[in-house]
Amino acid sequence: MPPVETEHGQIKARIRELVDTNRVVIFSKSYCPFCKKVKALFEELNVTCEVLELDLIENGSSYQDVLTEMTGQKTVPNVFVNKTHVGGCDKTMQAYKDGHLQQLLGAESTAYDYDLIVIGGGSGGLACSKEAAALGKRVMVLDYVVPTPLGTTWGLGGTCVNVGCIPKKLMHQTALLHTALEDARKFGWEFSEAVSHNWETMKTAVNNYIGSLNWGYRVSLRDKSVEYTNAYAEFVEPHKIKATNKRGKETFYTAAKFVLATGERPRYLGIPGDKEYCITSDDLFYLSYCPGKTLVIGASYVALECGGFLAGLGLDVTIMVRSILLRGFDQDMANRAGDHMETHGVKFLRQFVPIKVEQLEAGTPGRLKVTAKSTETDELFEGEYNTVLIAVGRDACTGSIGLDKAGVKVNSKNGKVPVNDEEQTNVPHIYAIGDILEGKWELTPVAIQAGKLLARRLFAGSSVKCDYVNVPTTVFTPLEYGSCGLSEEKAIEYHGEENLEIFHSLFWPLEFTIPGRDNNRCYAKIICNKLDSDRVIGFHYLGPNAGEVTQGFGAAMKCGVTKEQLDNTIGIHPTCAEIFTTMEVTKRSGGDIKQSGC
Amino acid sequence: MAARLLVRRTWAVSVKGFRRLPAAAAAAASSSSRSSSLNTSAHTRSFLSPSRSLPLSSHRCISFNVQDHDDFTERVINSDLPVLVDFHAQWCGPCKILGPRLEKAIGKQKGRVAMAKVDIDEHTDLAIEYGVSAVPTVIAMRDGNIIDQFVGIKDEDQLDSFVNKLIGQ
Ligand SMILES: Cc1cc2nc3c(=O)[nH]c(=O)nc-3n(C[C@H](O)[C@H](O)[C@H](O)COP(=O)(O)OP(=O)(O)OC[C@H]3O[C@@H](n4cnc5c(N)ncnc54)[C@H](O)[C@@H]3O)c2cc1C
Ligand SMILES: NC(=O)c1ccc[n+]([C@@H]2O[C@H](COP(=O)([O-])OP(=O)(O)OC[C@H]3O[C@@H](n4cnc5c(N)ncnc54)[C@H](OP(=O)(O)O)[C@@H]3O)[C@@H](O)[C@H]2O)c1
Repeated sequence: MPPVETEHGQIKARIRELVDTNRVVIFSKSYCPFCKKVKALFEELNVTCEVLELDLIENGSSYQDVLTEMTGQKTVPNVFVNKTHVGGCDKTMQAYKDGHLQQLLGAESTAYDYDLIVIGGGSGGLACSKEAAALGKRVMVLDYVVPTPLGTTWGLGGTCVNVGCIPKKLMHQTALLHTALEDARKFGWEFSEAVSHNWETMKTAVNNYIGSLNWGYRVSLRDKSVEYTNAYAEFVEPHKIKATNKRGKETFYTAAKFVLATGERPRYLGIPGDKEYCITSDDLFYLSYCPGKTLVIGASYVALECGGFLAGLGLDVTIMVRSILLRGFDQDMANRAGDHMETHGVKFLRQFVPIKVEQLEAGTPGRLKVTAKSTETDELFEGEYNTVLIAVGRDACTGSIGLDKAGVKVNSKNGKVPVNDEEQTNVPHIYAIGDILEGKWELTPVAIQAGKLLARRLFAGSSVKCDYVNVPTTVFTPLEYGSCGLSEEKAIEYHGEENLEIFHSLFWPLEFTIPGRDNNRCYAKIICNKLDSDRVIGFHYLGPNAGEVTQGFGAAMKCGVTKEQLDNTIGIHPTCAEIFTTMEVTKRSGGDIKQSGC
Repeated sequence: MAARLLVRRTWAVSVKGFRRLPAAAAAAASSSSRSSSLNTSAHTRSFLSPSRSLPLSSHRCISFNVQDHDDFTERVINSDLPVLVDFHAQWCGPCKILGPRLEKAIGKQKGRVAMAKVDIDEHTDLAIEYGVSAVPTVIAMRDGNIIDQFVGIKDEDQLDSFVNKLIGQ
């Protein structure tokens, strides 16, 4: 026999042997993207395969010829499962989709404990796990709250319910009622007693409501058949996590897919006395005593909201600002919200950063001495406060969940997880949603939407992705600030000032007139793109009920509302929101924007 | 200083174990007069037997807080007396009204019925297992079987007749 014939025969025998002795064989080329896709699929299914990279072996092209002869398929990948020829990438994917592949693989491929494990039972994690379970999947969600340095902890549901949106808005409401009480006298209400506020009553009521929400979440997981574990999860292998419960007991679970939804926790300053004596928003809502004279450090939305409601309760509040208010938000609006706070007694200590916090006296509250230094000069500042609240941003909880063991990449600077537009990390079977995402909105409804849509894409063949554009949001400062779309700064950066028309107006809510407060403090602004039919690309509102107002305009912007359509909309009188149907003065014109009369 | 400490955290153990049943089964069992699905105790003694229903010890602990799962098995499931289980929470206003009324109704029975109080945040697994969705939920148990239950508040007369029904009067 000629030598060629021998090689051919040998290769054929070798291929037969590979196919007969391995569960999965992939003839592949190392650089081929389709081969990579197929390999990733089997990895995701936790199935070991025998891979022969034809471009890396000596007689690879001969292998390819023999394969063509044997299977009628010229290209790679060429996939065999349990001695059956499946085909190339498309055929394998199709077989996976219609379940044929799983059949070929036999029972072993369903060896994982769960179809999906979600790490973190907050806004995003709960939404995702419930949706996946509703689609018939076996789902586990793990949630564990690491107590704050001062020992505060809470129940199921994540940041929003326990230490975020919910207690924040309820305490903001407490402060608004104070203003309403003062207004009431002007409207003829007579009450003789001096009005005072009882922190403990408020705190207990808020905590009780949260307790009922925690329970509600627990019940809905039971009702939706989501397995819940109150334990701290960390990866030990790409498909395996270790769950450590309160008593230190370790249990291991495996899953085909994972969703990271671990959220963020408040950052500390790293100065002497911060963890020992200061509180963060994680402690504030559970504080058993009224915080008294308070210094808020930071100018984040958490800082302004908390400082705002504390002042609204009648406390002496100072906010220490390093540079600007509300970085990332429209600065014109941020400053107006800040100015309003200042006129209502909140003190701002600008261009200062703290360097140490000392305890003068323990107590509930105690007395603390704060030393700060100017960011511009050598000036030092010393002040005494009962409580120091640190609100200088939040860190993603991604540092100690074994992401290195799973191979998930994080941004080493901020711990955030980069994902593609389908919330998939660099490891195909691991996804991430919510606050830990790089460059995405940190809002509860965004986390919920992303979680739900992700579950539908993973388990119901949906292709709908989460839309992170034109997300409406509100900062609950004493005068609330709602926005949707671009800030003025970003609009100018993206479109150029000459291509924008900005309409704005001050206004005086009818409710404020009789009490005679805050005249021409409320402010409305829309930013329109002249090159695109004056489409509204930025919406900004500073005034009462900003969340309620902004929500509807958010829907309009989702539909692509233009200035002309706003003009054609008939207002509801007398309201604040109607201002957006009658905006005439452009910012460019410098025209008068003070309002008077109907 | 910080208000809610570790103890307060909701806690659930994985749902395994020989006498667990799905919540739905517990709910279904609640409406039938006697379901064997919950009967894990071998006790068949008559609860009406006076020598058994009025021992000194049960007088002393006629109303008690459930400590843990084992305690629940011993003092509720394996109880010689019929037991009212009051699933309640610290954050629940109506529970604070119902609790004392239940104590009073039980007191009137002079030791013929016991009352077990379960804080659902401390014993979440028990509450989840017994299908509790809202509080207060009161479950009437005899020989380890759920024989009746209600959710929400009841007035004193309603409670008396609920208890009377349980002890078969
Ligand atoms: C003071 C404050 C006010 C806010 N106000 C608003 C508002 O008004 N409106 C709004 O839309 N948004 C608001 N937010 C933001 C909102 O709370 C978050 O965007 C939202 O909660 C993010 O959801 P998430 O699922 O990403 O994470 P989270 O809700 O933070 O949930 C993550 C959960 O995972 C748990 N966890 C972390 N690591 C592990 C682990 N290894 N194992 C097990 N469990 C783990 C955490 O304990 C937590 O329970 C506010 C936030 C703060 C701090
Ligand atoms: N609508 C929304 O919900 C919304 C909008 C925008 C952004 N976000 C996101 O929300 C996340 C968390 O928001 P956040 O408001 O908690 O934090 P943040 O936006 O990161 O703001 C942190 C604040 O703390 C200040 N700060 C940081 N380190 C400090 C230090 N050492 N000393 C003094 N001040 C310090 C910052 O000042 P400087 O400005 O000087 O840095 C800033 O004011 C952010 O990461 C952001 O991406 C949310």
